Amino acid sequence: MATSLSAVESAREELSAAAARGEGGRGALGRFSDRVDDFLQRLLADAPPTAAPCVVVALGGYGRRQLCLHSDVDVLLLFDGDIGEAEEKRVRAILHPLWDARFSVGHQIRQIGDFAELEIDNPEFLLALLDARAVAGDAPLVDRIAARVRSPAAHARILDALNRLIDERHARFNDTFYQLEPDVKDAPGALRDVWAARTIAAITDPALIDRGAADRARLDDAEEFMMRLRSMLHVEHRRNHNVLNHEAQERIARLMGYTGAPRQQVERLMGDYFRHARAVSRSLEAIRQTAPEPVGANLVRSRDGIRFVDLERAERHPETWLSLFQAALDAGTAVTGGTLAWIEERIDRHAPEAFFPAPADRAALVAFLRPRAGLYARLSEMHDCGLLGRMFPEFQAIFCRVVRDFYHKYTVDEHTLLTIRNLERLATRAVKGRERFGALLDDLAQPELLVLSLLFHDVGKWRDEDHVEESARMALQMMRRLDLPDESIAVVDFLISHHTRMSLIAFRRDTEDPEIVRQLADLVGIEERLKMLCLLTLVDIEAVNPDTLTPWREELLWRLYVDTYNHLTLEYADERIEHEESGLRALVAGRPGDVTDEEIARFVEGLPRRYLQLFPSDEIYRHVRLARGMRPDDVHADLKRKDSLWELTVATLDKPFLFSNICGALSSFGMDIARGHAMTNPNGLVLDVFQFTDQERFFELNATGRDQFLAVLEDVIAGRADVTERLRAREQSVLYRRRPGVTSTPAVIHADNLSSRRYTILDLVADNVLGLLHRVSRAISRHGCDVGLVLISTEGQKAIDVFHITQAGAKLTDAAIAALTADIHRTLEA
Amino acid sequence: MKLIKAIVRPNKVDDVKDALGRVSLPGMTVTEVRGHGKQKGHTAIYRGKEYDVSLLPKMEIEVVVPDNLVDEAVAAIITAARTGEIGDGRVFVIPVEQSYRIRTGERSDI
Repeated sequence: MATSLSAVESAREELSAAAARGEGGRGALGRFSDRVDDFLQRLLADAPPTAAPCVVVALGGYGRRQLCLHSDVDVLLLFDGDIGEAEEKRVRAILHPLWDARFSVGHQIRQIGDFAELEIDNPEFLLALLDARAVAGDAPLVDRIAARVRSPAAHARILDALNRLIDERHARFNDTFYQLEPDVKDAPGALRDVWAARTIAAITDPALIDRGAADRARLDDAEEFMMRLRSMLHVEHRRNHNVLNHEAQERIARLMGYTGAPRQQVERLMGDYFRHARAVSRSLEAIRQTAPEPVGANLVRSRDGIRFVDLERAERHPETWLSLFQAALDAGTAVTGGTLAWIEERIDRHAPEAFFPAPADRAALVAFLRPRAGLYARLSEMHDCGLLGRMFPEFQAIFCRVVRDFYHKYTVDEHTLLTIRNLERLATRAVKGRERFGALLDDLAQPELLVLSLLFHDVGKWRDEDHVEESARMALQMMRRLDLPDESIAVVDFLISHHTRMSLIAFRRDTEDPEIVRQLADLVGIEERLKMLCLLTLVDIEAVNPDTLTPWREELLWRLYVDTYNHLTLEYADERIEHEESGLRALVAGRPGDVTDEEIARFVEGLPRRYLQLFPSDEIYRHVRLARGMRPDDVHADLKRKDSLWELTVATLDKPFLFSNICGALSSFGMDIARGHAMTNPNGLVLDVFQFTDQERFFELNATGRDQFLAVLEDVIAGRADVTERLRAREQSVLYRRRPGVTSTPAVIHADNLSSRRYTILDLVADNVLGLLHRVSRAISRHGCDVGLVLISTEGQKAIDVFHITQAGAKLTDAAIAALTADIHRTLEA
Repeated sequence: MKLIKAIVRPNKVDDVKDALGRVSLPGMTVTEVRGHGKQKGHTAIYRGKEYDVSLLPKMEIEVVVPDNLVDEAVAAIITAARTGEIGDGRVFVIPVEQSYRIRTGERSDI
């Protein structure tokens, strides 16, 4: 140990001597850092061993091998495992001798698990980690944490923090580098600014350091000069003091060999200092102004848009190219022209599948198509540089395709992209008077499937024959490549196959004929598809030429939509699945081995016909299984994640207050019901399906959350727990209290005794508040009504619920309706 | 010379056009219009809310015909546009004093 201490002392003497000669620059500091490295290596080797592998990491200036004579030695002792007694001993065996050697030590002792989540709220530490360097021990451990620090998210945080720190530091010096007694480390234009300029360039765009005012050699010169000054100041003051005061200036000017009278020597020294400080200041300023912002893996945002940082890496990974456009969409900017040209040059080198090789890439592509501001512009960029056509060779087939007719004013590809622009305008409410269509779009569960359908609705026009069939065929081919789920394929296939249907009916058929409306309702089957088809029709017509979509046509289309929607929601409960139904036959034919024909028939017969259109076969078989062996008070429930929503399926036997209790149980856990269906078959079997958001992340944060919820649900349905009581506390919570100044819209309740043969229909539109469905359905049950079918949907902050109800097996009388609606109003106002 | 102005259901325009073609009257002007006659529209309900649909979308067809073809043209329009239900529309016959071709400035019979 004595030998090591003397080695440290001799290293100090060597650095002091070099510093005194004015040679304490980069080389001398590097040599001193190496000697401290030797010391630490010896200390670690002599320290008692530990089970957990360990590495000594140099951070900050020491990490950069720029350790000054009296600088803090910043080290991180990193263990790959728990830190126990043995590890603590090892730490002491390293730190104590460092202190004995008169080092001022800044130390951190961590285990690698601490870095699973980066401390993004501690940017100074992240900054220090950027210069991390393994000095002794198990070096690969450092690579493991370095990889995390190099993530775009960490870089963005570091950049933010660094900019803030620079501003604060400069403010302490009144934002000027012309200091008569400058701090050669902290002042504007001094050493910290050199490191800041290099750091910003390193984490954003390394090429910045060589551009414009920022010149690598000039910065190196300035750094060398200031390091020499700093080393001399450490010798002069015998401590970590970096202010070049008047006294020090005279001595240092003389030692550095400036000529002339003492005053002239100082003036020359300070002249050189300000020249260097100015160069550093300008470099840093230029780099800060032009530094792009990291926005994703290998992606930055500069003034002209989004581009790759590392083009070689991007070239090896074509599956990352879409992320450029996604980032541009997210940031509301473009992809840079240079990047588009770069893609265009290379586009032919990759097969279509290379752009979405993994399921995550394919999911990202579909998610990218969600309609929002900028989608048309980004798709147009992708189209112009050839990426869209390469990803979808089917789309390339209509590149600049001209189809001459009386109506179309644009090439087929541009018409297609314009349909998406029109949809985007509905999403952003860019067209006044078309908000009603925008509201339909908001209501869609998967609007990206509508965009995918639009993208492919006319690809069949590459040939002159019937394009609809050909478009559907080509879309199917694409969807198989994308590995889309069967449900999504069915939606897109339906929309493309019928994309001319609704305009034909709206403008060429007598839409006042109920039979025409019924046929359209039969075709779409469910409201979701009707909405999608309506929107597709609207944006398709608008993209034909600027004059095609007149307010008159818009009105015709809207009326057809409303009539069909009403047919679907008001009359559909009358249409029941019958024994000989073709859909039922198909279900039986395709049944899996564990489900019998009788089970399917017993479960499905008598449910509303919409059931077969709402759920794919696999889901129906799952429901059949769920309904097995049902006895009174049994509750068979299934809870699963479905994208951003949760889906609860409950099968049980009907009983009073059942629907209300299920809704109440959901609300009592803070779940926000977005959409759902409740149906009853003639055997009294109830099937309720709810999709909801878990706004409080209850399931995510509680490992046993699902079990807890299902237990409460069973208790509530069986009458063992009082859901109203559970809800009361939550309703009184400050979280759900109406915000001052926010007025509620009065609820609208419309009762209809005409549309359905069997049911009275209650249409309710109200503010979507916690427990709404529970309270309304409770009032319905209180009035002795049975619920046959409920359709639940939300549109922004509005809940739209349609209840099909009976009282003693018949429609409600006018008096009963009046009493019930009054009661619901009272309940909602309470 | 008469101007025949027919207000018909939107889906009947093609039928009327074909019918007029059959009586050798190929030219016509079609305008999208909204209005109501006896059929005053109705109040529709959408998502529990009532909304007024009293102005109904219709198509207005204008055609200028020689006096001797007026009856035939009116009959053709009525036959083609008729469903028998309220809301089938109206046909007006209005005298036309003079007619000029814009291209040549000539006065013409039609």
